Amino acid sequence: MANTLAEKYAERIQHHLSKYPDKRSAVMPLLYIAQEEYGWLSPQGIEEVAELCDMDPTQVKSIAGFYTMYREQPKGKFWLHVCTDLPCALKGAETFYADLLAHLGIEDGGTTEDGTFTVEHVMCLAACDRAPMLQCNFHFHEHLDMDKMRELLDQWRKEAEAYANKDV
Amino acid sequence: MSDKVKIIIDDIEYEVPAGSNLVDMAKWYADNDIPVFCYHPKMEPVGMCRMCLVEQGSIVKDRETGEVVLDENGNPQVRWFPKLQTACTQIVHDGMVIRTNTEAVKAARENVVEFLLTSHPLDCPICDKGGECPLQNLTMAHGPGTSRMNYDDKMHLDKHVPLGDLIFLDEERCIQCARCIRFQDEIVGDDVLAFHERGRKLQIITNSDPGFDTYFSGNTTDICPVGALTTADFRFGARPWELTEVPSICPHDAAGSNISLSVRLDRDFGGRAMIKRVMPRQNEYVNEIWISDKTRFGHHFTRSEDRLKKPMIKKGGVLTEATWDEAIRFVVDALKAADGSVAAIAGSSTPNEDLWTLRKLVEGLGGGLLGAWTPTHAGADLVAQVGVGKGTNLGDLGQGDAVLIIATDLEEEVPIWRLRLKQAADRGAYLVVANARKTRMDDFASDTVRYDYGQAAHAMQNLDAAIAKKLKEANNLIIVAGAEGLTLDGSRALMQAAANFLIESGHIGKPNNGLLSPFPGANGMGLHYMGFSPEATLQIMQNPPKLLIVNQAELLADDPFAAEWLNKVETIISLNLFPDAVSNMAAAALPIQSFAERDGTFTNGERRVQRFYMAQGPMGEALPAWQVFSQLSEALGQGHAKLSAAAVMKEITENVEAFAGMRYKELARVERQFPDVGGEDLYYGGTAYQNKGGLGVQIETSADKGEAVSVGEVKLPDSPKPKKGQVLVVPVAQLFNRQSTFKPSVLVHPRVPQPYVEINSKDAARMNIKTGDLVEVMMADQIRVTVQAHVNGGAPEGAAVLPRYLTDEATPMVLTVGEIKKV
Amino acid sequence: MNIIRGFMTTFKHLSEEPVTLQYPEQVRPFQVRFKGRHHLRRYENGLEKCIGCALCAAACPADAIWVEAAENTDEARYSPGERYAKTYEINMLRCIFCGYCEDACPTQAIELGHEHQLSFTDRRDAIYTKDMLIDPVPEGGQDTPQQVEPGVFTRSIPVMPDAK
Repeated sequence: MANTLAEKYAERIQHHLSKYPDKRSAVMPLLYIAQEEYGWLSPQGIEEVAELCDMDPTQVKSIAGFYTMYREQPKGKFWLHVCTDLPCALKGAETFYADLLAHLGIEDGGTTEDGTFTVEHVMCLAACDRAPMLQCNFHFHEHLDMDKMRELLDQWRKEAEAYANKDV
Repeated sequence: MSDKVKIIIDDIEYEVPAGSNLVDMAKWYADNDIPVFCYHPKMEPVGMCRMCLVEQGSIVKDRETGEVVLDENGNPQVRWFPKLQTACTQIVHDGMVIRTNTEAVKAARENVVEFLLTSHPLDCPICDKGGECPLQNLTMAHGPGTSRMNYDDKMHLDKHVPLGDLIFLDEERCIQCARCIRFQDEIVGDDVLAFHERGRKLQIITNSDPGFDTYFSGNTTDICPVGALTTADFRFGARPWELTEVPSICPHDAAGSNISLSVRLDRDFGGRAMIKRVMPRQNEYVNEIWISDKTRFGHHFTRSEDRLKKPMIKKGGVLTEATWDEAIRFVVDALKAADGSVAAIAGSSTPNEDLWTLRKLVEGLGGGLLGAWTPTHAGADLVAQVGVGKGTNLGDLGQGDAVLIIATDLEEEVPIWRLRLKQAADRGAYLVVANARKTRMDDFASDTVRYDYGQAAHAMQNLDAAIAKKLKEANNLIIVAGAEGLTLDGSRALMQAAANFLIESGHIGKPNNGLLSPFPGANGMGLHYMGFSPEATLQIMQNPPKLLIVNQAELLADDPFAAEWLNKVETIISLNLFPDAVSNMAAAALPIQSFAERDGTFTNGERRVQRFYMAQGPMGEALPAWQVFSQLSEALGQGHAKLSAAAVMKEITENVEAFAGMRYKELARVERQFPDVGGEDLYYGGTAYQNKGGLGVQIETSADKGEAVSVGEVKLPDSPKPKKGQVLVVPVAQLFNRQSTFKPSVLVHPRVPQPYVEINSKDAARMNIKTGDLVEVMMADQIRVTVQAHVNGGAPEGAAVLPRYLTDEATPMVLTVGEIKKV
Repeated sequence: MNIIRGFMTTFKHLSEEPVTLQYPEQVRPFQVRFKGRHHLRRYENGLEKCIGCALCAAACPADAIWVEAAENTDEARYSPGERYAKTYEINMLRCIFCGYCEDACPTQAIELGHEHQLSFTDRRDAIYTKDMLIDPVPEGGQDTPQQVEPGVFTRSIPVMPDAK
């Protein structure tokens, strides 16, 4: 079986592998590469990382399962983490989260039908002073309200469409 | 274990070996079972379950004088640690004081058990572990009796998750001790199990293909302290308290693993005693407490409906059923008619008693040739001279020792040796693996050596100087020499070369030093001591006698060329478990009992003579082979027939020097073994570990006895040379195969590979063959098999590796020249 | 005189109701707790209560019970849990009707009823098999083995209301 990652990201993989005395130490950065390539850690991605790190796929899968920032299920193109911890909640994050879900028409942790957005609530993301806030594909967006949010969502939707068209 | 330290357990002082584990020492010396779930004496401690909490302190010594400080009563003052410590992670040291019976310790144990039970289902009535379950036992012993938790809150998870074809996981029952994961990682080296997710969602997963891909998966069910892992074989088979444990020996390979056959009466088996499961039996010299999946799941052949059940004799050219009396008379007449031109061939899993009575019968008739089957592995006589010394324990090998494995794939041939030598390498032993191809053992080797097929002896004689130096200078050296890719002459040359190496470097006549060979079957060394040899088999092949007795050897299934010379034999008397191609040719086909139905002994590869006991009800009218031979001898006027296997063994001890002093009573001796698992304890799981059937007795080598052994001449034979367009077809062992003694284990079938041949990528490219293509392998211009091609880097250039016993057709026993064509 | 007193006693008793019952036509009522021969119970839907755990056999002081278990599948389901009794036999010659099996049973599958007329002409007949012990299928229920939808019975020990 051809190893797509090894072919496509040879340089980056080599960079990570060269940082450690042991191949298996590079497993976490390589998992991020796999996630980037496939959108989530598909069985194919796990296999390929296992091969690159000279590990058993079971061990790679175990690592992917332990850390929350690896996606083990296919998720939307934009992965929104809304903080609903106490300080954010005091500044209205819970209402904001409920409104956001209602606006997108999905449940907590759900994905929109077109596969663009996945929304989850998370514990503190260390931006309490700028609440309500969320993180989209690991980038912060702060001082939010629903008006701002709608703008952002429209913008992301356009990006997603552009990306999809480019892909074709 | 020379340094001793003094520790105090519950106010009593004990002297224990320095550097050992507190839980083990408390159990061994103080008979104090500190409860554990995650700890296992065979594995590194992790301190995960917190069940072993004890109060710990140390005796206060004056910093300046180093003297023990006394309190007002004149007792040593103890500085107690502020919190409870996990006993399993403590290494004993001088002045260590622990208490295991205080209120704090009791409360801690109660709480741990209560917490473990918050999500444990109360499945005990139907759980396979119920009755021998450490969690059950420790709850009864240390649990709180009632729980403060709300049982409606229990997690409900999947009850039936197959981890592969042989093992099932019950996610609810798992208490996340990681024993199974650590076993696969530390002991086996196949790390195909792991935790997934975390917190309450933590689960055991396998992601290998096929699932739980290892030859040792069954052991995880033994060490599982709950019923989370169960085998497909025993699932709901019986309740543990209904089982009777019968000590036995694995009949499949040269390790001679000690096993317990758990038997119970069964309606499906006509109300007779039937093997419900196979469990390991502790023998620290042989298999510790581990067995391979072939040993564990390969017992179904003993009660296969295909077994030969009645004596058959040829009447008017047709085999017809007869009574034993008729059959014995018929065979006696045939033996008399043969006029002394009698020979015998015995299979490599024939017990010692059968071999001896067969030899007496043949010699009594004036015959002489006693052949060992299969004639592939030579050099048993060399093992008898310079084999591993008496008292050898592969588990003792470590730093400073060396092991050379040559011309064998131990994973497939003797998995238990592979397991134990892998651990030796982990402990620091210098492990060299020499073979013409990559084998699993390479993964654990310190150095690997490659040679061309057929050149093993040459490679042995011309080891790389640096490697040879390290081997020679090692404190202890064991050479494991097989016969992969060798003819019988080649095998002899290799064994001689290996023996010479050992003799020259002085690694003989001492424990943990000497020669080992993975002879096929369970009694390869027994064949030698009873006078059977592969060389005699070759002579029989060249000059077939008038009458040939074939015992438990499926000549035609093993060797496609056997028909040629067997046709020249006038009368064949076949004794076998199954009707096979040989018994179809035979004048008389007599049913014999398998190892499970009778008493007997096997001599394992390390020359340990070990007893197995009668466990299962017999199939049909089958008799133990020794009884048949004994009755034939009596009918021929060679003296009274022996009445028991023990009596036969007594006769052996009087006649075969190596077996002197090996009466059944001696073989049944046991002693307390470290670590103490099984028996009365509450937590190492399984009741079948305890060894009540005997540790066996190891035969001394000539070198052990101090006899002079000298270097022999190595005759390097010509090895077959492939011409252009041809390849060397090398038969190799495959653990899970379609041999008659393994085929009836239906549950393992999904794990038996489809017939395949491994081809080198260069050869494959030349022949335009890809992985998965069907190819026809033609060997020695006449044998054809159609198999799948694998091009996975498992074969050296110019060679095709063809695993044995996967195809329905017989394939050559030794390497041949052949051609491969795409179909 | 004495003889007259004697006859008087005799005649007095002649006029009294007899205590003897015309067994087997007439049967004396049983105490509720009377322990007769065993019954294997079913749930209302016809599934067997017995899960084949063999605790009855373990509890039996007379070693009269023989259980062999097997695994349920959704194609052939006998009991709601994972396991059912493939073989269930009681040797009535050995049984001492102590009722320990009833106490040991975790699912109230075995109960001692009021039948006591157990007589045999052959020792083999004294072995009651599962077919003889199990209750008839209740009305509206289905006989076992049943074919059920996957995912309905996921517990290893059933949680089900008792049959009436």
